[in-house]
Parts: sequence; C-alpha cells; structure tokens
Amino acid sequence: MMSFIKPEIKIDESFYKVEEIRQLTDETFSLKLPKARFAFKAGQHISLGIKGDYQSREYSIYSGANDQNLEVLVKEVENGYFTPKLRKLKAGDLVEIHGPFGKFGIEPKDAENGKFVFIASGTGIAPFRSMVRTYPEMDYTLIHGVRYSTEAYDKHEYADDRYILCSSRDKKGTYNGRLTGYLKGCTFAPETHFYLCGNSDMIFDALEILKDKGFERDQIHCEVYF
Amino acid sequence: MKYHLITLGCQMNLSDSERVSAVLESIGYERTENEDEANLLGMLACSVRQKPIDKVYNKIAQWNRWKNKRNLITFVSGCILPADKEKFLKSFDLIFQMSELGQLPQMIREYGIVTPAMLKETRPVMPKNEYIAEMWHIKPKYQSTYEAFVPIQNGCDKFCTFCAVPYTRGREVSRPSAEIIDEVRHLVNQGYKSITLLGQNVNSYGLDKNGEEVNFAELLRQIGEFGKTSGEEFWVYFTSPHPQDMSRDVIEVIARYDCLAKQIHLPMQSGDERVLIKMNRRHSMDKYRRIVADIRELLPTATLFTDIIVGFTSEGEAEFQNTIAAMNEFRFNMAYIAMYSPRPGAASYRWENEVSQEDKKDRHHRLSEVLKVHSREYNETLVGKTVRVLVNGTDRKTGFSTGLTEGKINVRLDHFDAALMGKIVDVKITSAADFSLSCELLKVFSLSNQ
Repeated sequence: MMSFIKPEIKIDESFYKVEEIRQLTDETFSLKLPKARFAFKAGQHISLGIKGDYQSREYSIYSGANDQNLEVLVKEVENGYFTPKLRKLKAGDLVEIHGPFGKFGIEPKDAENGKFVFIASGTGIAPFRSMVRTYPEMDYTLIHGVRYSTEAYDKHEYADDRYILCSSRDKKGTYNGRLTGYLKGCTFAPETHFYLCGNSDMIFDALEILKDKGFERDQIHCEVYF
Repeated sequence: MKYHLITLGCQMNLSDSERVSAVLESIGYERTENEDEANLLGMLACSVRQKPIDKVYNKIAQWNRWKNKRNLITFVSGCILPADKEKFLKSFDLIFQMSELGQLPQMIREYGIVTPAMLKETRPVMPKNEYIAEMWHIKPKYQSTYEAFVPIQNGCDKFCTFCAVPYTRGREVSRPSAEIIDEVRHLVNQGYKSITLLGQNVNSYGLDKNGEEVNFAELLRQIGEFGKTSGEEFWVYFTSPHPQDMSRDVIEVIARYDCLAKQIHLPMQSGDERVLIKMNRRHSMDKYRRIVADIRELLPTATLFTDIIVGFTSEGEAEFQNTIAAMNEFRFNMAYIAMYSPRPGAASYRWENEVSQEDKKDRHHRLSEVLKVHSREYNETLVGKTVRVLVNGTDRKTGFSTGLTEGKINVRLDHFDAALMGKIVDVKITSAADFSLSCELLKVFSLSNQ
C-alpha cells in the first residue's frame, strides 16, 4: 500500500499552532492563532480542522484583517463531535486552516461611505467584529441577539451607541426580548445595507421584516451559520 | 499489461478519467472493458450520493478477493471524502488526488514503498490543488471523436450545506485560459462538434486569480471569436454555473456567438427562499428570476435546464409548493430532480432530516409530472420545424440513430445510418413526446468538413 507525496507539502503552511483558548463564557471561546498567512476580507470564513482528525468545520474569521492574530469564535455544542475537541486544544497544538472563502463582507470603498446595520444571533457576531476591527471608522449599528447578556462577546470593543444587545432570557440587554422583536420597531435610512449572520431561522425572519419595511433584497446580505 | 477503469458520477469524473487513461497508456497499459483480464483495476469515485460510494466498496471487496488468484494493483481517485479516504486506504493499493495524476506511473513503479501512515502524518484533510495544473497539462485520451469535455476549473468554495465537494476536490482553482482555448482549438480542428467546459462553478472562473486571469464572460468571448474564424460548426456548452456568480455579461456573450450553444443549465435546487437559505445557496429567488429574465430576453431560443433537490431538511409542503410554483414560472426543459440524501462531510449531514422517504418520493413524482408538462409543451412547438441535430447514438428499442439538438433535446431519427454518427445534420421534427422528439433527416450539414 502506498501513496505518493510531494516533498513540498510535507511541511504544510495550512497548519497553525494554537496560541490561546480565550474563554468568553462557559460555552464560548475564541481560538487564537498566529497571524493569518493569507490575505482575507473581513466577513470571510475559513475551514478549520484539527491535526489528526479527518473532520473540519467552517468558521467566520473573528479577528480584523490587519490583526496580529487570526481568531475564530466557537460555541461548544454539547455532545458534539468537533467543538468539544476544539475546546480541549492547548497552546502549541496544531490546527489546519484552509481559506479564506466566501463573499460576505464589505468592500473598503463602501466601508468609507456606506451605512450598515449588522444583525447577528449568538456567535454570528464573528464576521461583524472582524469588519468593525478592520474598518473602525465605519458607520454601523450592530444588533446582537442572545439568550443571556453574558453572551455579549467582547462587547467593550464596540461603542455603546452602536451596539444593541437583545437578550431574550434576562433583562440586562439594551432590549429585553428577541432580536426580531427589536427589529420590527426600528426605522432605518433607505440607503442602509443590512448584513445578517446566524442561524437560518433568525435570518429568514429578519429578512421578512426588512422586506416588509420596503428594503430590496439586494440591500440584504446573508451568511448562514450551520 | 491491461487496465480497467470504472468511472462513477459526473462529467468532471468522466473528463478526469480521460486523463487517467492517457497517463496509463503512455506507460504501456492497454485499456480493457473486461476486468477479468486486467492487471490494473481503478475507479474514479463519486461522493455526491451514497449509491456510488456503496458501489466502490462492493467492487473493491470483489477485486481484493481476486488477488488470491492473480497479481493485481488497485487504485481509486476522484471525489473522495476524508472519512471514506481513511477506509479506502485499507482496501486499495493506491489512492491519489487528481492533482497527483502525473505521479501515477511512479506510484505504480514504487508500489509498496510509501506507507499510508506517512500519508496520514503529513497530509492536510482538505485536498490541495497547487498541483492541479500539472494534471491539466496531461493530454486526455478522449473517449469520443465528436463530443469532449474540457475542464476549466477544479474545486468549490461555495459550501452549500448539502454538498461535500469542497472537502473532496478542494478550493476553486482556474485553469489558464490560454490552455483552455488551445484545447478547444485542437478539438475543433480534430472535428469535434460538442465541447463542454467543465467545473464545479464555471462562472466563478478566474475569480481565484485576483485579476490576473480573464473572467468567465471573457473566456467565452475568446472561444466565440475563435469559433467565428474557424469556419467549423460546433457547439460549446458549460456546466455547472452557480446563480450567485451568473452575470448578464455571460448571457450577452452567448447571444453574440453562434458556437456558444443556446442551452443553459442553471441549478435552482429549491424554489423556496427559506430552503435556499438553509442550503446556504447565497442567491435569492429574485436573483434567479433576474437571470432567467435575462436569458429569455437575450437568448429567446435557449433551452433551460436545472437541478432540484426535493425533501431537503426543513422542506415542508408549503416550501415544496414554492418549488412547484417556480417550476411553473420558469418552465424548464429539463430538471435533474434528486431526492435529498445526507452526505457524510456535508454540513446538513449533522442535521435531522425530518422529511420521510415516502414524502421525498411523492415530491419527486409530482415535480416530474410538472416538468413533463412544460417539456412537452416546448417540444410540441418544434413539430414541423427544421432543427439542427448532432447524431450521437442509437435508440435501444428501434435501433434508429439518435441525437441532441443544440438545446440538448433528445431526438430520434426514422432510420439508422452509421455514417451519420458524430455529424451535425438538419432534420424535420415530425412528432413530440414528453422528453424527446422524432424526426426525419433533411441533410447532413457541411459533410465535406467532417
């Protein structure tokens, strides 16, 4: 039994050493890696594998395009196959990264002039943190739907007047209730572009609300978490 | 020394198999269709559905039994999921990615030296495509003298949740346009009449090169320009495009050149917005509708084909009705309708699929009936008309010659004529059925050139 391996791919630049597991809540953590060896646009995602394991998963990049570390935001799935293994990783362990992939994101010229509303559920905030860190001067509002206010990941990084926390199971959010409930009561400038990221049910409900408000489908950009 | 090659799955695998044949024949192997007399047995696997993977397991079990009686080397390539690869390593003697095809002769010579443990230690999970260009340099052993497939791109970056291709073929890599044009030119000069540009997302062509390569519309334009000056009649198709990257430019170019076939295969997958979101298709029904409107406006004679999955996770009767409504709106000439089956490696494999097999069968049947109505309506409009057809086969029942129109509608002639095989002919359509036409021969087009 054999297979041919080119010497060039034996030491593979796809592998990264874990620098830190930065715990954000009991279930959620940021996997901190060395600076990306590829250029990416804020909003894109990567494929992440663990050395020696044949499975991989896709994660939006949580860090900014110019940051010194590549980060992804991970919520551990109870009894899941992959995320518990990720959580057990230690500094120095190897992970395999491929990418970047996807077109979800904002072009630099649009970031300067556009008006943006980011709508995220849970860890769907990841691409928006990347965008905000990449374009700190951008005109944006971030609406973040969570169950508990403790899930407001790295909230201190956003200006208070730009970050709306919708907390459905405690009363510590900017809005106490589901994100979609907040969205129904909002008015937005007609030229606004909306970026939605999270589970498909939230995305679909938010999409319907925005369409009912008269926004064109081309103004609404979606990234499904799966 | 003889080899036997089994190709499963799509046209991409068929195209790859032509290059595998070329490599094996370059080192003295002779192809045989009889696996009993082969010393080298290979398969190009397909991971899109479970059935072809089951076939790989059944076949390798049989081949390994034969090893007790004769010396054999077995190999597998094609679309292989990481999980299947682990298992194949135990069963096949050789396993390689298409990008490593150039090294196949060395693999056969060195058989038994490198171990799978070494492979596991160093190889990334996701296939890497740095060396795919070497595979494209291999001149294929074309299986036909009049129809050919030309790969223009390999891999997929789209991550549709039902599909595992990003994990089996790696990320999108475009083949240099100069090579593509050369291969098309060579084929046309050899008398080929039907050329299909292949890729997982052909209309993403060039995007991975960050401006250093032409885009898909420009690639088509260059082929169109060559067609205009070649003096030959041929049809160039492409499959599959993704609605996300489909632009009006592409459709305008097709309209401008005769050699760019007026047939578009545009996978829709579902007519329901919610299901499309769940599938991570990244296009809306509005976007799909605009593309079809452009096709109808700029290519009024074009036929329209699609792919649809029924019974995907979260598809209820209401969502399915939206797909029926879309079928009625777009009036496809052909739809490849698949019942959803979860594929290990794809994201949706981890989700509960609440749609029963009975419901999937029922939806498949109901959608097929809708398709039949539209297909027949279109076919009936052709009765009495003169249509150009590429003769490419023989009807199994009648023994008469068969062919395809430029729009890829099946046509049956009223007699058999071996001399017509691979020729473009003019026929008069005499009757229409659900998915085919009957015709009588009028004339063989530009026979002197063929």
